[in-house]
Amino acid sequence: MASLRMSQPSKTGFFAALLALAALGPFVGSDYFLHILILCFIWTIVVAAWDLSIGYAGIFNFAQLALFAIGSYASAMLSMNLGIPAFWAVLMAGAVTALAGFLVALPCLRLKGEYVALFTFSVHLALPTLLEKGRSFGTGGATGLLGVPPIEVLGVVFRTNNKLGWYYLALCVAALTVWLVYYHIASAKWGRAFVALRDAEGFARSLGVDDQRTKLMLFTISAAITGIGGALYAHYIAVITPRVLGNEFFLLVMVMLSVGGMGRFPGAVLGVFIITIGNEALREFGQYRLLILGLVVVLAAIWLPRGLGGLFDRRAGKGAAP
Amino acid sequence: MMQTLLEIVISGFSLGAVYCLFSLGLSLVYGTSRVLNFAHGSIYMTAAYGAWLLSDGGLGLGFVAVLAVLLPASFLFGVLFERLVIRPIRAHEHWKTVTMMATLGFAFVLDNLNLVLFGPTAKTVSPIVDGNIELGGVIVTNQTIATLVISLLAVAALQVFLNLAPLGRAMRAVSQDMTGAAIVGIRVNRVFAFSFGLSAVLAALAALLLSPVYLVSPLGGWSPFLKAFVIVVFGGLGSTQGVLWAAFILGFVEAAVISMIGATWTMPIWFIVLLAVLLVRPRGLMGKWGD
Repeated sequence: MASLRMSQPSKTGFFAALLALAALGPFVGSDYFLHILILCFIWTIVVAAWDLSIGYAGIFNFAQLALFAIGSYASAMLSMNLGIPAFWAVLMAGAVTALAGFLVALPCLRLKGEYVALFTFSVHLALPTLLEKGRSFGTGGATGLLGVPPIEVLGVVFRTNNKLGWYYLALCVAALTVWLVYYHIASAKWGRAFVALRDAEGFARSLGVDDQRTKLMLFTISAAITGIGGALYAHYIAVITPRVLGNEFFLLVMVMLSVGGMGRFPGAVLGVFIITIGNEALREFGQYRLLILGLVVVLAAIWLPRGLGGLFDRRAGKGAAP
Repeated sequence: MMQTLLEIVISGFSLGAVYCLFSLGLSLVYGTSRVLNFAHGSIYMTAAYGAWLLSDGGLGLGFVAVLAVLLPASFLFGVLFERLVIRPIRAHEHWKTVTMMATLGFAFVLDNLNLVLFGPTAKTVSPIVDGNIELGGVIVTNQTIATLVISLLAVAALQVFLNLAPLGRAMRAVSQDMTGAAIVGIRVNRVFAFSFGLSAVLAALAALLLSPVYLVSPLGGWSPFLKAFVIVVFGGLGSTQGVLWAAFILGFVEAAVISMIGATWTMPIWFIVLLAVLLVRPRGLMGKWGD
């Protein structure tokens, strides 16, 4: 059985990393480096949520960026078109995305493996057209929405140029996400039930694991978190266009997860940091950057199929398990 | 009225025939190796760029010469893709997820390679044959007729191959029972490589026939890929017969939709059809449960 690492991951490690990042903030200095770290935190939210659905629940969910976009658009539209304060719009975007995730997951329950992958990916491919055609619903069409209002919490206004503020805001949400996903859901009984389902479906079923209900729940929670991540992104960048569904972002999150390793904490989080920083370093390669990222996905699949997270397994002696 | 009907029948037939060709590649690979190849559309587009380079883009070769160069090259490409990318991954315990990631990654590699090499502007390829003929009051381009005839010939040849040739029968054996096929001495790996090669050839042939109609652009492979996906899922993943039925049914649906309410509605209606099929029959018309 491939499910020996069921114990909760190290709490000390989590708090040490959190404290180190929190202490680092004021010393980063440059706005550019702060920006990259803020992006790291936002992607951590999105990729951890994806890891929950694809890595732990074993649902081949390729609609992750579609959910991300739904979250961004929902929050931007709620705050711009209806004048809801951004803070509440972000939370409501989480709820909207949870609903969207629930609706995407419903047909998936009846489908097996590849059909789920194809269905969710078609949701991803269909969304840009809907957003472009949906100008009358307030999506802003192909140009998207410009000037998404900033989030305001307790009198502090988080504008795009308030880098240090955003650094802590994004860090908080990312830490909460990691804590929730990896320290509670994934290591709780039903998270483990899912690792069992993923690794040995028949056996897990025979032990009485009710996959349908839990799958739906995991997917919905994952969607809610993703939606909040997307909403934060929209309010941070202040612009949201259908281009978030383009090649680039999809590739980025895919590289993050495949380099990091699915369902193997802290692999995915490491993947996010390495790829976000690496992606910035590749900027000078211009249009070759996406080509290189694609190659990284393929090569990681060949040489490092468990991702960086797999290296931790081996160290813990899991590689020797029968 | 009769005329509209005839128009729908002709264009439905030719759409269905090309969709068959393109989707069979996806289905064959899935049937034999259980790999869902997300790069199929991008391979198709890469072949279309190849066709453009060989004809209008540079060398100015005729259709037959392009065919003679492009098809073997595509076969080699498919075989190498299987050998270098897919085969190393198969040993891994979660190889299904990992191959999906890898093929999707490879699709992006091809897309961006095409973008870097050829730029974002779409290329046009001149038709195989010029001119029109009139059939019962409906004007049909010769290109449509050529497309229809060539695709039907290719699909028929493929059926004969799968049913009679030793290698084709080996492919069917592998798709029915991989372990059993290996036990009776079929070299499974060779069959995998061959099916990837064949799939690339079918994609290239579809590219040759379709690129005069649709433009050649870096992301142009995703729309046919999506259509192929709907067809393959509709017909049942891995089932050749299912693909034949589904391609023609959806070809006629598309022709009717275009003629009655307009081309922008094609994809939404396909999706509704797909969703309905999946909800009623989660494994498609003739699919087998994949394991």
